[in-house]
Amino acid sequence: MARVRTTRNPLVVAAIVLTVAAAGAAGWGGWSHYGAAHDDSAAYAEARDDALAAGEQAVQNMNTLDHAQVEKGLDSWEESTTGDLHEQLVDGRAAFVKQIESARTVSTAEILSGAVTELDDRAGKAGVMVALRVTVTAPEGKPAVKESRMLGQLTRTSEGWKLSALGQAPVGNTAG
Amino acid sequence: MSTTRHLVNRRRRLAVVAATTAPPRADSAPVEEPQPTGPTEAEPEHTAGPDAGRAAEPDDAGSPAAEEQPHDGRPRTGWPRLRIRLPAVLCAATVLLGTFAAWSFTSAAELRDDPTRQNTALTDISRTSEVKGQIADAVGAVFSYNYAAPAKSDLAARKHLTGKAVQQHKEMLAEVRAQAPEQKLVLTTTVTESGVEQLDGDRARLLVFADQSNTRTGKEEETTYAAAMFAVDAVHRGDTWRIAAIDTFTR
Repeated sequence: MARVRTTRNPLVVAAIVLTVAAAGAAGWGGWSHYGAAHDDSAAYAEARDDALAAGEQAVQNMNTLDHAQVEKGLDSWEESTTGDLHEQLVDGRAAFVKQIESARTVSTAEILSGAVTELDDRAGKAGVMVALRVTVTAPEGKPAVKESRMLGQLTRTSEGWKLSALGQAPVGNTAG
Repeated sequence: MSTTRHLVNRRRRLAVVAATTAPPRADSAPVEEPQPTGPTEAEPEHTAGPDAGRAAEPDDAGSPAAEEQPHDGRPRTGWPRLRIRLPAVLCAATVLLGTFAAWSFTSAAELRDDPTRQNTALTDISRTSEVKGQIADAVGAVFSYNYAAPAKSDLAARKHLTGKAVQQHKEMLAEVRAQAPEQKLVLTTTVTESGVEQLDGDRARLLVFADQSNTRTGKEEETTYAAAMFAVDAVHRGDTWRIAAIDTFTR
């Protein structure tokens, strides 16, 4: 018996050592992966990037309108919003359609930069600021280009982040 | 072939067989059992004669070898499967565990290298507010100018600017500097809103909304307000954040 064991040992012991080492590595790796996958700040960072992406897209949508496709444009406005802002758009839609169709303008927007200013992941609220360049083309005359400083409030809905408030950053006598 | 030699050989053989346990005995049993009628010593001797003779030869050659054979033979019947099975199981387990370890480490590294996680804007609350506060102060300082104290602006530029921003700032303020003494110009910039777009260690990018008031006190006092928006690249040097580049979104 003793002799048998000694002849078997080196190979099997080496194999056991390797297996134990592999098990250790697997345990460590699993722990490391679990830690990385369940990182709270990572989830928060994802919410931040989601909110920013949705916010920028919504702000762009809200500044894009082609008089030839008003209905489609306004549908996209309504899809980008929620809450009071959404109600206002729905209520004012008919009047706005008339206004745009008579003005015959085409507005396109370009996002220059954007940042999330505040984020409450639990409440599903976020604030974004967006630097925007809007080009408005009227039937006659040169396209008008203006830069806009937009501030938006986002609310998380079952369909993702949507704008619940949007406005220009106020300019004024805050300085001096 | 003398009978005594046969007898001696047989005794030796029996002794060896007796020393081993059941399996070898079961093996040798069919050879000896067909003659259970006469349990005399001579009877098996006869029939086993040729057999025993053949078996006797290796016995004679070396009994230690004969003694080891059953020892080896026994594990051969019980152990071979285990001998193959245990290392195979260990190998398989090693490969599986090793694969899992490799996968988990690489995927953990991938997760950590994700740009979303690399960016600690807002997730690192204290650093986010630190860079916001310091850059807001820096922007206010370098984009303010008083005709009565031009040195103050130079000092602010040296303190808050670095790299490309030094030249950019010089160009931006060139006009103001030129007109300031004559128009008794006072430019005041206040950051109204700022947000951190990117924060990764010692580098950051911020979006800044600022109000600028421009007061001319030359002939008659007149103040104009302007809205400004730009992005700022910031670097952390020592224990302060400095403006490294200014992006005014010009095409």
